Amino acid sequence: MRKHRHVRYPWTMLFLFCTSALMIFPFVWMLLSAFKTPADVYNYPPKWIPSSFQFTNFAEVFKKIPFIRFYINSIFVSVVQTVLQIAISAMGAFAFAKLDFPLKNKLYAFMQSSLFVPEIVTIIPMFLLAAVAGLIDTYTGLIVAELNCAFTTLLLISFFQSIPNELIDAAKVDGCGYFRVFLEIILPNSKTAIGAASLFAFLTHWRSYMWPLIITNNVKMRTLPIGLKYLVTETGTEYQVLMAASVMAIVPVLIVYILMEKEFVQSITLTGMKT
Amino acid sequence: MLLVVAIFAIPLGAQTKLKVWFAVSGDSGEAFKALLEKYMAANPSVVLDYSYSGNYADTATKISAALISNTAPDVALMAAGPLYTGARGDYFIESKINDPDFKKDDIYPGVWDYAKYNGRICAIPYGISTPVLYYNKAIIEKAGINLKNPPKTWNEFLQVAKTAQAKGNITGTSDFWGFDVTDVPWLFKTMLNQNENTVISVKGTDVSPAFNDEKGVEVATFWKRLIDEKVMPIGQHANAEKKFLAGNLAFLVATSARISRWSKDASLQIGAIPMPYFKKPSVALGGNVLIILSKDQKAKEEAWNLVKFLANTENQTTFALSTGYLPIRKSGLSLPEAKKAVESNQMYAIAFDQLDISWSYWHFDQMGTMDQLLGQAIDALERSAMTPKAALEKAAKELQAEING
Repeated sequence: MRKHRHVRYPWTMLFLFCTSALMIFPFVWMLLSAFKTPADVYNYPPKWIPSSFQFTNFAEVFKKIPFIRFYINSIFVSVVQTVLQIAISAMGAFAFAKLDFPLKNKLYAFMQSSLFVPEIVTIIPMFLLAAVAGLIDTYTGLIVAELNCAFTTLLLISFFQSIPNELIDAAKVDGCGYFRVFLEIILPNSKTAIGAASLFAFLTHWRSYMWPLIITNNVKMRTLPIGLKYLVTETGTEYQVLMAASVMAIVPVLIVYILMEKEFVQSITLTGMKT
Repeated sequence: MLLVVAIFAIPLGAQTKLKVWFAVSGDSGEAFKALLEKYMAANPSVVLDYSYSGNYADTATKISAALISNTAPDVALMAAGPLYTGARGDYFIESKINDPDFKKDDIYPGVWDYAKYNGRICAIPYGISTPVLYYNKAIIEKAGINLKNPPKTWNEFLQVAKTAQAKGNITGTSDFWGFDVTDVPWLFKTMLNQNENTVISVKGTDVSPAFNDEKGVEVATFWKRLIDEKVMPIGQHANAEKKFLAGNLAFLVATSARISRWSKDASLQIGAIPMPYFKKPSVALGGNVLIILSKDQKAKEEAWNLVKFLANTENQTTFALSTGYLPIRKSGLSLPEAKKAVESNQMYAIAFDQLDISWSYWHFDQMGTMDQLLGQAIDALERSAMTPKAALEKAAKELQAEING
């Protein structure tokens, strides 16, 4: 029965196919452009298949920028930020979802409202604080200021609320304190939501550009998005080299997504979240 | 060997450290870094801590943040530099440019206006560019157009562009056009000045929009003609360069900073002609400037020495020729490498000649907003959403409101 689903819903399938094609198109274009010659890039009508596959575009990336250094920095910063952010968000979400404390509703509203403030508004005061704390050109400065926990906390709150209170009460009867309840009841039952929140956090940190640019002056401290910008110049951009760098830059994101795809899809189903 | 000995002979404490940020990357960034390295080699007592600071807009944000946290660089190469010195009442550079070593009068007078705030010099023009009218040689040849006597006025040019469009389609595409421009406000301001409109009006230190007068409306009306006569596509300016390089556009106005890169690509057959004009030849300047942001006097003096070095004839011309920016000094054109560039590359000859007619207005706080509003006005008139007069009036009104705060 299941294998005939596409026959039963032909218009749905057609719609999904078309939207998928639209989403995939830029990535296919990026991948093919990474192998093109400069003439192919500007060819009109557009040339899909490169006239000759230029693997040298990838080598050019390493010649033009310290790509490996940027790559290592990006992976280190994004992973640490994701781990810290999820740890803080999960503890915060547990408190909001399962505990009562003074000003809870006001704090919740305050946290929600922080999502509406654009990054550019806060960047200068944040930099001022970072400068006073001596965090310029440090990994601490890169990592701590970008721990934007509000979104992931809200995401986890909605999931934690679905965990039955009876389960927590039973654990308390067995002598568990709040921290053990959090570690042994909440976390093991929330792998799906934590996986999705981690994916969102990682993606946000992986593509972050403005803060890493502001907080770093030393090229050794910079991350991939800034590195890609080195390839965009005022006198013209070598798109084939930029595309080659972009292809290499999305590999970790794809790996993280492939590893967490199941949790991500389940989480959308369970929390009713839409992106 | 002597240099090595000299370096080790300098006690560490005697070294001066200068922080330098630059908003140019790629070839331009490499050329600028090479000059900084050259300075350090020649001045072992100075250590330059330099870094790329992002594109022009990013650098502006980075400098703003650095200024209020007291972490600004000593020297910055950026666009709109006067807004970060003159606007803060810092005219240190003005007090130094009469230094005989600097040879202030060797710099093109029009170029100096690009480094002013409230009429006073507070930056050193550096990576200067002008709009250049490029053409695709294959299209022009196919259309049978002789550009040995290029069109002088925009009306003459319109006819040439129409011929190129009608007879020069080398790719056989239906998306083939006679003319387009990459940076709309830049060309529009060039045209305004050519039609004896000053873009802004300055009374004392007060700035107000002037682009909406009768002469401005004449220019906007001509712009609309380019659309109505189907020589220029509506609102396709972001793709203009790609179209041009793909052979689907006969003429393109783009920055002179493209010359170096395009000249290196043997597959591109591109030429340039002098910019057509309305009443007088003129081109609006663009690009970046050097500014000094050091806090104490000693650092300022050291920073000035660096700026003087970067802007001397040999170094600035080297930077210009390796990047596509233009020499800012008249003496730069007499250097053998500049002469060779002019003789071997007609595009350089056109761009260098335009320096004599280059023009700029002083920097003012709302100039970025003005460009944005002019872009919106042109977009509205191209789409026939507004008349040329109404579009400019609206832009002027909004700019005035922004200036009034």
